[in-house]
Amino acid sequence: MRAGVIQTGGARVQADVSKHEAKFSMGLRGPTLRRGALLTPVDAPAPLDAAAQARLLGLVATARDRPAFAMLFKHFAPRLKAFHMRAGLAETAAEELAQETMLLLWRKAGSFDPARAGAATWVFTITRNLRTDQARRHRGGLPEPPPEEDLSPSAETLSLEAERAARMRGALATLSEAHRQVIELSFFSEAPHAGIATALNLPLGTVKSRIRLALSRLRDALGAEP
Amino acid sequence: MSIQHHLSDDTLLRHAAGRLGAGLALVTAAHLHGCAHCRGRLAAFEAVGGALLEMEAPAAMAPSAFSNVLARLEERPAPPPVLRAPRRAALNLPPEMTLPPVLAGCDIGRWLWLGRGVRYSRVRLPWAPDANVMLLRVAASRAVVSHAHAAQELTQILHGGYSDSTGQYGPGDIAEHDETVLHQPRADEEGCICLAALEGGLRLDGWMGRVQHRLGL
Repeated sequence: MRAGVIQTGGARVQADVSKHEAKFSMGLRGPTLRRGALLTPVDAPAPLDAAAQARLLGLVATARDRPAFAMLFKHFAPRLKAFHMRAGLAETAAEELAQETMLLLWRKAGSFDPARAGAATWVFTITRNLRTDQARRHRGGLPEPPPEEDLSPSAETLSLEAERAARMRGALATLSEAHRQVIELSFFSEAPHAGIATALNLPLGTVKSRIRLALSRLRDALGAEP
Repeated sequence: MSIQHHLSDDTLLRHAAGRLGAGLALVTAAHLHGCAHCRGRLAAFEAVGGALLEMEAPAAMAPSAFSNVLARLEERPAPPPVLRAPRRAALNLPPEMTLPPVLAGCDIGRWLWLGRGVRYSRVRLPWAPDANVMLLRVAASRAVVSHAHAAQELTQILHGGYSDSTGQYGPGDIAEHDETVLHQPRADEEGCICLAALEGGLRLDGWMGRVQHRLGL
């Protein structure tokens, strides 16, 4: 078992990161964490809920809080790895991308805005962009210049962003298997339409109309935008 | 003028998923720049990505994963790469027109003749040299010969506008076409300047066929 010894606010904290440890058993001590009332209690099982994720990201951003980062790592890194493996990456590449994403999470935590997106959605966009950049580099592309401006959603949708991922999860659960499948494949298949059609042995037109239907069901389930 | 033609769910979902090719993604970003409505929809589709990530069954990380990342936290991030200045031909654009900011890093070639009253300029993305993106300029009131499309095309109107059987398009509007669409756009009195990306391996006759031929596709 490996333990990362980390330093925070003068308190020495041991973060247990054993992959076989099913329970959330980091020895979390220190003033920063006692202050965090929303933190998942020590020994409580993962996963972190959306509010805890946002709170921990805030601690990483404002206090460079390593125990908070450890908890985010424990939650997100294994899911990021699984996500990329499902999308077709080999295990080592998925592992590397998950680690890189967590490093970027640490560096960019200050740009996380809970009014704009849920924490999981924000982490998803980081890892998506990282994967896109990597894929382009492999094909001989130079780095893309960062966007010059910060594009925010329209004002009327802002209030919906924060809890959206959680509600979206509920909405996805209400989809039929066939509809959920096309949505998932839109994210996980390299060549969405043709790829999905081939994978499901369906005509392309059927796949496109299923995606449209699935999205309209999601809209109904969310009872709001988009 | 308010935007009448928005991105389809389908295209926005693929953009949110990071699954659009670089050319289509660029034109999508050009539309998003000017369209708060589509930015709101994109945020919702990105939340689908967030939900899928949350629903994923955790995969065991390597035993050293956390200590690896911890050891790198204080590492200074690699300095941003020095990008060469993009190469820009003189385009003689209308003075009131600005190019979308997403083109900032792109090379833009000079106008080349494509047909009566129709010119195009090749847009090259240094981060995706194989993407097929161009500016198109159609002279005032000029009709473009009837044509079909590649597997997928996105056309963002930057200036002026045009009309065809699918409607009237003005600045800020986006037109999405696939190989099932056959149309004959006619530019407005101001003419029309747009940013287009095409993807897909179809060989076409007519107008887009000439584009494909000239681009060496």
